[in-house]
Formats: sequence, C-alpha cells, structure tokens
Amino acid sequence: MLQNAIEVKNLHKAFGDLKAVDGVSFEVAQGEIFSLLGPNGAGKTTTISMLSCLLRPDEGDALVMGHSIKDDQMGVKSVLGVVPQEIALYNDLSARENLTFWGKMYGLRGPALRSRVDEVLEIIGLTERAKDRVGKYSGGMKRRVNIGVALLHKPQVIYMDEPTVGIDPQSRRNILDSVVALKNQGMTVLYTTHYMEEAQELSDHIAIMDIGKVIAYGTNAELVKIVGQMDRITLTINAESGRVLEAWKKVQGVKQVTAQDGTLTVLADDSNQVLPRLFETSALNGVRITTVAIQEPNLEAVFLHLTGKALRD
Amino acid sequence: MKILDIAFKDITRSFRSVFAVLFMFVIPLLITGMFYVMFGGMKGSDTGFSLPQTNIVIANLDKGGAGFDTVMSQFPADANIQSLGDMVVYVLQQDNLADLMKVTLLDSAEAARSAVDTQEAGVAVIIPADFSANYSNLNGQAVLEVYQDPTLTLGPAIVRSVLNQFMDGISGTKIAVNEAVTQTGSSDPAFIGQVVESFLTATARTRDPAALLKVSSPAATETEEIPFLLRVIGPVMGGMMVFYAFYTGTASAETLLQEDEMGTLPRLFTTPTTQATILGGKLLAVLLTVTIQVAVLLTLGALIFGIHWGSLSSVLLFAAGTVVLASAFGVFVNSLMKSTKQGGIVFGGVLTFSGMIGLMPVFMFGSPSTTFDTISLIVPQGWAARGLFQSMQGATTGNLLLTLLVMLIWATVFFGIGVWRFQKRYA
Ligand SMILES: Nc1ncnc2c1ncn2[C@@H]1O[C@H](COP(=O)(O)OP(=O)(O)O)[C@@H](O)[C@H]1O
Ligand SMILES: [Mg+2]
Repeated sequence: MLQNAIEVKNLHKAFGDLKAVDGVSFEVAQGEIFSLLGPNGAGKTTTISMLSCLLRPDEGDALVMGHSIKDDQMGVKSVLGVVPQEIALYNDLSARENLTFWGKMYGLRGPALRSRVDEVLEIIGLTERAKDRVGKYSGGMKRRVNIGVALLHKPQVIYMDEPTVGIDPQSRRNILDSVVALKNQGMTVLYTTHYMEEAQELSDHIAIMDIGKVIAYGTNAELVKIVGQMDRITLTINAESGRVLEAWKKVQGVKQVTAQDGTLTVLADDSNQVLPRLFETSALNGVRITTVAIQEPNLEAVFLHLTGKALRD
Repeated sequence: MKILDIAFKDITRSFRSVFAVLFMFVIPLLITGMFYVMFGGMKGSDTGFSLPQTNIVIANLDKGGAGFDTVMSQFPADANIQSLGDMVVYVLQQDNLADLMKVTLLDSAEAARSAVDTQEAGVAVIIPADFSANYSNLNGQAVLEVYQDPTLTLGPAIVRSVLNQFMDGISGTKIAVNEAVTQTGSSDPAFIGQVVESFLTATARTRDPAALLKVSSPAATETEEIPFLLRVIGPVMGGMMVFYAFYTGTASAETLLQEDEMGTLPRLFTTPTTQATILGGKLLAVLLTVTIQVAVLLTLGALIFGIHWGSLSSVLLFAAGTVVLASAFGVFVNSLMKSTKQGGIVFGGVLTFSGMIGLMPVFMFGSPSTTFDTISLIVPQGWAARGLFQSMQGATTGNLLLTLLVMLIWATVFFGIGVWRFQKRYA
C-alpha cells in the first residue's frame, strides 16, 4: 500500500518574472487533512493547479496516488476531486442538472449516477432546492454545490482551494464539518486557506507558504514550537510606536517587538512577567498603553515570527 | 459518450437563454415578417400570392341585332353567341380570367345591382336590351353599364379594363365600318362584314383577354413562376437566416471563452476527460445548435411565408453547407479573441460588417448587379447566400456543388485554424 497520497517534489512555476511557486515540496499521507496556509498571492492556487494537471510545472513533479502529474495525467484526474477557489458551475442549470453533468464527466452513468446525485444532494443539504437553477442560489449554497461536484465519484484525494472564502459563519461551519466527515470516510484532503484558525482546527499537517515557498511544515504543535512556547501580546499606545519600540526590545523576557498599523506585537516567554515591565518602560517614555491583548502561541505568531508580517493583510 | 453529454449540456444552456433564442429565431422571423407586411402580403393559394377573386354578376338583356355574322364567326361555335351582349359575357368568362373573377348570370338589372348592394358581388355588368341594335346602327351608341362596390378597387378595375379594351375593339370596328360606308356609299351587309373581318384581323391582339390583362396585372403574367412577393421575401428570409446562422455559430462558439472565464472549462480539464472530447463536445454543440436553427427557420419560412427554398436535395446541400460554414466561422473568430470582453467588437463589428457585405445581393431584390454579387463573395456569408439563391432559383446540382465546395473550403480553413488555436491555448 502506498505510504503517501501526494508527494510533491520541487515544483516551480513562474509567470514571466514572477516566481509564483518557487521550489515547493511536501508529502501528504493517505487519509489525512493537509493544509497549505498562506496569505493571498502565496502560490497556493498555482500549486493546486499544477497538482490537478491544469498548469504544467516549469520544473519538478508530483505523484498523486502514485500517478505522475507529468506522465499520467488521466491517472491523476481519475483519483481526484477538485473544489476550485472560484465557483465553477452552470448558473443556468439546476443543482441536480449540474451534479448529473459533472457525474458523467467523472464516468458515472445510469442508476448509479442517479443515486449518487441524490446522495450528494443530501450531503450538501440541497435536496429540497435541487430543481432550482444554481444562478438563483445564495453564495453559501453555490459553495456547497461547488464542493458536491468534487464528491460525486468518491475520489481518493480531494483538493479544496479556499472553500470558505466569502460566506456566512453558518455555511462555513457546515463546510468545515463536512471536511472532517470526508476524512472520516477515508479520503485524503489537501486544503488551502489563509485563515489560521481553519488550518489549526482541521489539519493533521500544515505547510505554511509565502511568496512561492514553503517556509514551515509540520503538525500544529510542531509549528507552534518554532516560536517557542511564547506568548503574543498585542498592544496599542497613545503615541507613535517608535517611542517605545527600541526600549521594549531591551526589556527582559521580550524576544521580538514588531509594529504594524499602530499596533505593537510583542513575543515573550511569559506575559505575566513581561507585561508589568512594558507598562513601566512606556511610563518612563511618557507613553500610555491604551489596549492590551494576550494570546497563547498559534500559527499567526509563527507566521509573524517567520516573515515579520501578519498573515492577514 | 461524454462528447454527447457535453454537447447536450451546451445546447440545453443555449435554448434556455432568452437572448439566444431571440437572436436565433425571433429576430430573423420578425424582420422577414416586417418585409412581408411592407410588401402587403398575405398567404394565398399554393403559389403563395394571387390577386383576389372578384364576384361578377352580369345581367345580359341584349335582344340582338343585325350585322354580326362575321364578328360572330370569330368565336367558337359552341359558345353559342347570338348578340354583342353574348360576346361580352363570353369574354368575361374566359378560362384565363377564372382566377380573377367568378361570373354569375342574372336575369334583371335590378337583381344585378342589388347583388352589389348586398355585397354578394363586387361588380355588376348590365348589358342593355338595345346593346347590339345600337351597335348595328351606324349612328347608334352601344353603352354598357358597370355598377360596382365603392369599397373595392382592384377587382372592378380589372373588369373595367377588360371591358374597355373590348369596347375599344368593337367601336374601332364600328368606326372602320362607318368609314367604309361613307367612302363607298354601300351599306351591303356582306361588304360591311368584310370590313369588320379585316379590321378584327388587324387588331387581333385586342380580342385576347389574357393579353388585355397583361397590362392591368403584372403579377399574373404567365412567364413568372415565382410571384413578386416571394421574389422579395424568399431572399430576405434566407438572408436573415444566413446572417443569424453566423451569429449563432459565433455566439455558441463563444461559450468556450465564457466557460474558460467561468472556471467550468478548467474544471472540465480536472475531470478524467480528454481535451479532444471536451473541445469536440463544444464544437459539436455549435454545429447542432446552428443545425436546429437553420432547420427551424427553413421550415417556418416555408410554413409562414410560403417560401419555396428549392428542391429537397439542393436545400439539404445548401443548409448543410451553411451550418458547417457558420459554425467554423464562429470557432475561428472566437479563437482570435483573448476574452469575451472583445465580444462587442466581434458581434457589433466583424459579424455585422461581414454579414452586410455578404448579404448585399439580397437587398438588390433580384435586380442583378454583378458588382455587388462579386463583392459579397469576399466574405463567407456571401457564399452561403449564393448557395441559397441558387437553390431557390433551381440551379443545377453542378452549380450548387461548386458553391458548396467553396463553402467547404472556407469552412475547412476556418475550422482548422480555430481548432488549432484552441488546442494550443488549452494544452
Ligand atoms: N495566470 C497567472 N498569470 C500571472 N500571474 C499569476 C497567474 N496566476 C497567479 N499569478 C500570480 O502568482 C502569484 C500566486 O498566485 P496564487 O497561486 O493565486 O496565490 P494564492 O492562491 O496563494 O492566493 C500571485 O502573485 C498571482 O498574482
Ligand atoms: Mg488562491
């Protein structure tokens, strides 16, 4: 039996001078949820496109269930379900017509197709509205059909490219739950997102991407260790951040201070010890701290630590 | 068969689009309908158009008179002509007038007039009792009474035209007789008969009612097999069909670009379906959509407007050529476009402009102009229109095949370049 569902080896893709994907490698074990976490423009979609044989890599290769994306595209496509980032459905066809059409494209026919379409409609909770044209659906409903299409042929591997962008919290919750349900059915899920919380909640393994490169890889716990068991303190002050920045960096127990958009972020071993000293130092500089927020270590902190910028910009 | 599934999906989408259906069927039919109304048509008999038939009642009260033997001998014996009034009746009852007038004989002038008053008849012709007598009398004046429905124009005009020609003919005879009598001083009936005969021979044409009718009703001239209205409507409808077939070919090939932008084309490429199947399915949809359109327009053109498109084999050849060419043109034009944003230029510019050039001969309404014919052939629509006209005019299969061959060459080039470019694009 195969060890890995997906093996990505040194993928490169450039658009002109822009290196959208710049030497990406990672491995996804069978039956796990693997997240590519990164800000917009990191190269997640470009990576997914290469892994679904839509884009030819400039360099490198990948195996999906043992099929090479370069040499065995039909093999790759037959084990794969893809949920594209942008909703890709026929608005002038009903949900049932859409699912039936896409099911045929995956090689389903006759009664097997019909019963599978019914099942998928049930899974995405649209049985009642199956006859309505997709064009009349809300954004969340369209997203659900968009996912449903990729489930029709019960693929071994499913890619989901930012499936929760721009929808209401309730639909988002449904989608996250269904991702876990897919995993429980034995599917391998490659999930991309720029929401740290989603990656943290769902993933067995996470690769953090930025500017075309994987900059960190591991389980959530492993990644958090990169920043040590440090706390993250977010503060605002009633003056220019520059007036305390250098002073705070010298405070005992402080590992890093960054300033962005009038907010200061301090990474520290123990916020309990550091916080009083920060107040003290700012008072000495004639500056008042106006808000304070303390966060236990998370992926956001990891990203900040690795790149010096916030994940969401 | 995935290729059929893709084609079927596209066709379903096309026919669900109100916009597409409007351009495919409604607009070409509406424009043709407009021309039809403009030229005052309505569907008549088998030939599609004919002048309305007029009901005529004749009260022939003529009691006869002397001096008709020779004139009567000009008419067939079984016509049983006893008087000049009988002659009038005979002329109006000619077979070649039967399409235009239905003649009923009545006994009295009053009955004839009241038939017009009650609108049972459009025209009453009353031949007075002394009609022949007055004619025979060299100084007499033979007068016919025509009583007509004032709301009618065409029918009574035809009747009057026929009668005028007839009366001119016989009064000419009378003048000729008068002249002869005055000059010779002889009133011998045999002599008068000779004069009449020679006059009638000299003016033989005026006795032929069909010849009279040629003057008053050009639509019924015997050399014309296709009525005037159809000479106009056939090409207009055909021209519209060619123009909008090219429109449909281009619009349905544009779904390739649309699907690329909607993301459904990339998504199709993530399914285990080959590029050849996906492109093939889309192209098949273009062909089938134009086929349905052309078939429907040909049928409706024949049913609604009574257009005769030509023999079945030539219609099939021409329709197939048009479908293939319009589809290939659509694929080609779209393969040159970067995105659907350029659709405005293509539909507003390329299609309209080339369509107008190609259809110039249509709006010449059959008046031949070799210059326009030649110019029209620089665009594919011109060849499609040419095939159509040849079919309608009953061109030989050889000529039609030649046009078809040129259409297929155009189509092959368009299709080749278009498919090649799309294959490269989505490789
Ligand atoms: N088809 C393309 N042509 C040119 N540049 C592209 C194209 N697709 C993506 N890019 C660029 O490549 C980079 C990575 O994009 P993408 O993979 O979409 O990022 P992500 O999905 O992580 O937001 C971005 O800078 C984007 O602008
Ligand atoms: Mg993306």
